[in-house]
Amino acid sequence: MTLVAIGAGIAVMTGIGAGIGIGIATSKATEAIARQPEASGDINKALLLGCALAEATAIYGFVIAVLIILFLK
Amino acid sequence: MEEFASELMSQLESKVSFIIPIFGGIPVATSVVITWGIMLFLVVLSRILVRNLKMVPTGPQVYLEAVVGWLNKFFEDILGKEGKRYSPYLGTVALYIGCANLIGVIGLTPPTKDLNITAGLAIMSIFLIEYSGFKAKGAKGWIKSFAEPMPLLAPINVLELIIRPLSLCMRLFGNVLGGFVVMELIKLVVPAIIPIPFSLYFDIFDGLIQTYVFVFLTALFMKEKMEHESVKHKSERL
Repeated sequence: MTLVAIGAGIAVMTGIGAGIGIGIATSKATEAIARQPEASGDINKALLLGCALAEATAIYGFVIAVLIILFLK
Repeated sequence: MEEFASELMSQLESKVSFIIPIFGGIPVATSVVITWGIMLFLVVLSRILVRNLKMVPTGPQVYLEAVVGWLNKFFEDILGKEGKRYSPYLGTVALYIGCANLIGVIGLTPPTKDLNITAGLAIMSIFLIEYSGFKAKGAKGWIKSFAEPMPLLAPINVLELIIRPLSLCMRLFGNVLGGFVVMELIKLVVPAIIPIPFSLYFDIFDGLIQTYVFVFLTALFMKEKMEHESVKHKSERL
């Protein structure tokens, strides 16, 4: 049981990468909007796309962790 | 931990609501029944809202026009003039996923928490993506598009046929499930008051964002499939 918990914890570590990625993307987007407020619509679209793609890795990690907890007992 | 795992497991299973007693019994999952409910809701709503429309909008028609106009403009911005014909489908999917994600607020299980539903949506999306490429370029151009930007990358382009629906499906499912699991954990610790703001975030904000992302990515992939080599550089900047 302990090993399963540790395994699930390691799988969720994919969230680190997603967090860093979304943080960088958002910081650049705020800079870009501050520089060019009139382009904020386009910047928001690109930011959302980037966030969705970066977040996917975290979601995969989460799905794997849930599968580990549920199917390895 | 053990209890929580079994509790989670029981929530995860797609429960069977009832069985149609023909051909030896066809099981109907709860998510399908809730999907029927959403379909009925949307059909009735669209019947009621389009009754006696006027040239000069008044009352609910103002909001209706704002929402429909926003959706059409959103898809037209991404897909361009020739892709305008796909906006009814994408708008319908957006409305359905939006309702499905928000239905958790009134206490029903969101159908998008069932992997089968999101898989179905993702498979429909990939078919539409490939169809739009086929339609815009013809059979020859469609096959040729797999060898872009160079023939060496063809295996990766073929793999994308599987990866794209898989990631669309898993993104929606994982987000809804993730929000659900976190909400269950919070309710386990503090049953009252505290879950409300979290519920606002996970049920409403995250649900709407995921709806947006799903249709946005589908439209973006379609645009990528539809556009020809010559105009590719222009849109690279997004």
